[in-house]
Amino acid sequence: MKQETFINENRPHESAIKHVTGKAYYTDDIPEPPGTLYGAIGWSKKAHAIIKKINLDKVFKSEGVVAVVTSDDIPGRNDVGPVYDGDPIFPKKAEYYGQPLFAVAATTTELARKAVLAAKISYKTLKPITTIKEALKKKSFVLKERVIKKGEALKAIESSVHRLKGNFTTGSQEHFALEGQSAFVIPQEDNDFKVFSKTQHPSETQQIIAKMLNQKSNSITVETRRLGGSFGSTETQSFIFAAICTLLAKKTKRAIKLRVDRDDDIIITGKRHDFYSEYSVGFDELGVITGLKLKLASRCGISPDLSGAINERALLHVDNAYYLENVLVENYLCKTNTASNTAFRGFGANQAMMVIENIIDHIATTLNKDSAEIRRRNFYQKKKKNITHYNMKIEDNVIQEIYDQLIKSSNYKSRQLSIKKFNSENKYIKKGICFTPVKFGISFTTWHLNQAGSLVHIYYNDGSVHVNHGGVEMGNGVHTKIAQLTAHALGINFSKIKVSATTTDKVPNTSASAASSTTDLNGAATLNAISKIKMNLAAYVKRKYKIKNSEGIYENGMVKFKGKTFKFNKLIKEAYLNRVSLSSTGFYTTPKIHFDKKTFKGRPFLYFCYSAAVSEVMIDTLTGENKILRADILHDAGRAINPAIETGQIEGGFVQGAGWLGCEEVVWKTNGQITTHSPSTYKIPAVSDMPEKFNAEIFKKGINIENVINKSKTTGEPPLMNAMSVFFAIKNAIASIGNYTANPKLDAPATPEKILMSIKNLKRKI
Amino acid sequence: MTSSNIDFVYQDRIFEIKNPDPNEILLNYIRTKLKKIGSKNGCSEGGCGACTVVLGEIKNNEINYKAINSCITFLPTLQGKQLILVEDLISKNGSLHPVQQAMVNYHGSQCGICTPGFVMSLFSMFKKKSKFKDDEIRDSISGNLCRCTGYQPIIKAAKSLKNKNKIDHFTKNKKNIINLLKKINNKSVVIYNKGKKYFAPQYVHELKKILKKNIDANFLSGGTDLSLTVTKERKDIHSIIYMNSISELNYIKNNNKYIEVGASTPLIELESYIKKYYPDFTKILRRYGSPQIRNVATVAGNIATASPIGDCLPLLLSLNAQVVLQDLKKNRILFLDDFFISYRKTKLKKGQFISSIRIPILKGNILKSYKVSKRFDDDISSVCAAFNLEIVKNKFHSVTIAYGGMAAIPKRAIHCEKILSNSLVTDEIIHKAKKALERDFKPINDMRASGSYRMNIAKNLLEKCCAEIKQKKLIGIYF
Repeated sequence: MKQETFINENRPHESAIKHVTGKAYYTDDIPEPPGTLYGAIGWSKKAHAIIKKINLDKVFKSEGVVAVVTSDDIPGRNDVGPVYDGDPIFPKKAEYYGQPLFAVAATTTELARKAVLAAKISYKTLKPITTIKEALKKKSFVLKERVIKKGEALKAIESSVHRLKGNFTTGSQEHFALEGQSAFVIPQEDNDFKVFSKTQHPSETQQIIAKMLNQKSNSITVETRRLGGSFGSTETQSFIFAAICTLLAKKTKRAIKLRVDRDDDIIITGKRHDFYSEYSVGFDELGVITGLKLKLASRCGISPDLSGAINERALLHVDNAYYLENVLVENYLCKTNTASNTAFRGFGANQAMMVIENIIDHIATTLNKDSAEIRRRNFYQKKKKNITHYNMKIEDNVIQEIYDQLIKSSNYKSRQLSIKKFNSENKYIKKGICFTPVKFGISFTTWHLNQAGSLVHIYYNDGSVHVNHGGVEMGNGVHTKIAQLTAHALGINFSKIKVSATTTDKVPNTSASAASSTTDLNGAATLNAISKIKMNLAAYVKRKYKIKNSEGIYENGMVKFKGKTFKFNKLIKEAYLNRVSLSSTGFYTTPKIHFDKKTFKGRPFLYFCYSAAVSEVMIDTLTGENKILRADILHDAGRAINPAIETGQIEGGFVQGAGWLGCEEVVWKTNGQITTHSPSTYKIPAVSDMPEKFNAEIFKKGINIENVINKSKTTGEPPLMNAMSVFFAIKNAIASIGNYTANPKLDAPATPEKILMSIKNLKRKI
Repeated sequence: MTSSNIDFVYQDRIFEIKNPDPNEILLNYIRTKLKKIGSKNGCSEGGCGACTVVLGEIKNNEINYKAINSCITFLPTLQGKQLILVEDLISKNGSLHPVQQAMVNYHGSQCGICTPGFVMSLFSMFKKKSKFKDDEIRDSISGNLCRCTGYQPIIKAAKSLKNKNKIDHFTKNKKNIINLLKKINNKSVVIYNKGKKYFAPQYVHELKKILKKNIDANFLSGGTDLSLTVTKERKDIHSIIYMNSISELNYIKNNNKYIEVGASTPLIELESYIKKYYPDFTKILRRYGSPQIRNVATVAGNIATASPIGDCLPLLLSLNAQVVLQDLKKNRILFLDDFFISYRKTKLKKGQFISSIRIPILKGNILKSYKVSKRFDDDISSVCAAFNLEIVKNKFHSVTIAYGGMAAIPKRAIHCEKILSNSLVTDEIIHKAKKALERDFKPINDMRASGSYRMNIAKNLLEKCCAEIKQKKLIGIYF
């Protein structure tokens, strides 16, 4: 009989059948008790204004309206800021266009949404700050600027053979999870509330609602079964909706459902930080960087939210896969009158990596050399040049191996030649190709968040297993992978495992499902719980059958001890009848990590993920339209628990990244009003944006040298950055117009308009 | 027969809704009244496909399975149709439909919320097409957004359907459904509900009578624009006349001089019909919107909306199309060029309706059309251009050029046309003609494109058109 291991195999998502039959519940789908009301939020039409008066008379009188809440209804903390204050639920002064001011509950969602339009609000308009440059000029910051350094960057630049200067911008990005923000709250006895929230962070939702209501945390239970995508959009931005929904439930004493309209969702919530950078770089004749000075400024919006951690991760990733001897980075966290920008897959790292990739690209065109070769020459090495700018020694470096394999498997060199030939023969249509690497650090940079809990029950009746852990299923496959780990650890069939909703009354004090760490942390905590139950079982067997120090081998529904073998179900039932606990909590903390935020030194990451991509694009120089012809990705997932899920992340992350750097453009008017707030105006990649040829491979030799579950490596965020290759392939195609001798100026996103502008500017230069 | 109730077929039986709210949205009905939560609300504007359901309609004694966006469909338009939801694909013995099984096998879902929409779009393709060519697959899901997968596993799932047995439980039950549909599809609907009126006539003579008494009524054709008044602006529409219930107006005729397209003909039908006359017309219609939109939207609706970015309009203008207007007494035929007045304003008078569009069949001319937008699939044009050129012996004879996205209305480029007409085809003339576009248009900045970019590509598209003619090949990246 073939031994079933359940890990290292392609297994469909645990909810796949429910997904395809429409039977999977998302927050808005949960059946409602009779009398449920529906919420809607009224928000500011000014980006910066003193609110003189909110007249809600007509709102109250609107059809179907049962209750209205304003800041007066908040008994406790009027703020949902996760780390710092600054995100009022209902503010006194409007600080961005779209900031919530009040909310209503009505008998239907449609009536609630109609009612909020009847509000009469008078404002005294103030001048808004709407761009990074304006904020820099006016020194408008959400947190203090910071400077990090290693070596002597300025001296090194000055004494280098070549020097370059420039600036570069990457744009914002709307998460556009297909499930929008939503919450559903049911009042309980004792003034308790059961909160169903679309959130990556049930524990913090619980805490924020408790503080808002001036109630104990134990009176609020937050439950999340699954999210319809999130990508960072509900790490903190969901709090205000769960809070408002609870406030309406408290006021009406009825269940409230709040599903936020797509436009309102995009208008109200924060997005990816756009970054503006200025650089000065010194390098030798081989293109190796000798010194780098950077100014890194991000748009944070009105409040700190997670901007401190996001900018910190940016600072930790300005090196990407490159050894930097001398670095000086100034980092500015700009306060603007726009929604507070927040977590988004990559969390600042991708923005910083684009900065260094753009610099390397600039160096390559300046030296008229192949950019892949310049990249390779700057790679971290194994025995020397292996200390990061934050003093962490890199011990798991495989970027050179990935480079070698991918350059070969993608036929990079011969394709480069045929592209040059194509370009010389075609006046209007140009092709470009580019290789970019990824090195991404895994662990929360905030030390205490690197912990996780789990709760495992085995039922004596049939040996079925129930697992709850702190991670949230949002398409990441965490429940599937943890069920696989559980089935493997107990040697029983996958179908006997149920991994269910994340709930604060089962596993408390959890961290957000974020930082690509969800399966690493919660999987390890679950295995810890299982090992405790196994210890109980072993102790029982030892006691009863006098078997010495045997832990038991769990395989194929059997449990083998030295000299005694049980059927799993039989052992469980027997253990129950002998009063053995078949339930346990589990706990995990990430080892080895430490980081001094002041000196910016330490080991913030347990390990690094490595990846690389080669993309080939085609552009139309008459219109700027562009297309990805082929993408080859090689990604180190360690020993993947479920290669199909990891491949899904690798491909999906790439396309999402290509959207960020390509067709996705967030536009604000000078008055701070966002104008891209629906799928008709904000374009995420659709099916034709997928590369025509798309080869995503897992690096077969990959293994995690650290003690991570199954020796796997996460795939959550890092694949997104492989899309950098698309952007620089576009730049490469543009550069062909000047015979690769001049560096085109191109900022992200590379919309058709930006590409055409870049071509025009380049033609002027040559 | 006239009735204030609507009848539709759902799960093998006839459902009747008594006097529904004319503004009620189908998705809302599905989720809150039928209590089926598989269809999701992602955007309320037909832009994400999460709400996709399939409607079965009788056509030549067969059922035509159309994917539509239920989030922008008015409930009363369900009259006479079969409603198929993602929940209904599973067969009675509990086995998954081949489309569903393929999505499971190829890991087509990650978070799963867009999945029901994809399943329904693929189901519609599965029922309508036989070969599932790569471009058919891409087109069939071009109106469905997925933020997780990057589409590769969904494409693989769709490709795997090529080898599947096409007989599903819908095939087996077809006769029964056709009989049910025949029982209900022969009636006109008149609804009065809380001050809101809805008319779905079956014949033109009925329409005329209704129009006489309801001169301010809104025409509902595909409704992909009108419905946003309800879903986005959150306003009521008090009086609606549904045009697509009039089968007399659903036709494509051809008298060798022109193609006549009836007002209620969906774009998707024109798309396949017109290919042999004007391949570029078909090319642009493919990019007009998703199949969910093209399945219901009509040329007449596009004309009546008079949007500056209506993608049919530059083509129709450049072809000198005519619009046939009718009122109680007479027909009036206008050149489309004379029909648009200003931003979203036309010469359509109260009491009049568009009954058809006449598209001239030009034999010696070259028609080329281009659409530029941020995204290939389902996006609104930054600029859409159409060039109708008659070139004889390297000389431009008749030249008709029109652009969308360049002015408040879709508009001819008169100055540009003048430069080209009766001139030799030379680089110098083309350069002059490009320059003349600056006199024709002063395009605006918005979130889609800046005015200067629009002007730039308007010029470059003319250059591209001429280069393509000269080099006798297509120049571009989308073929």
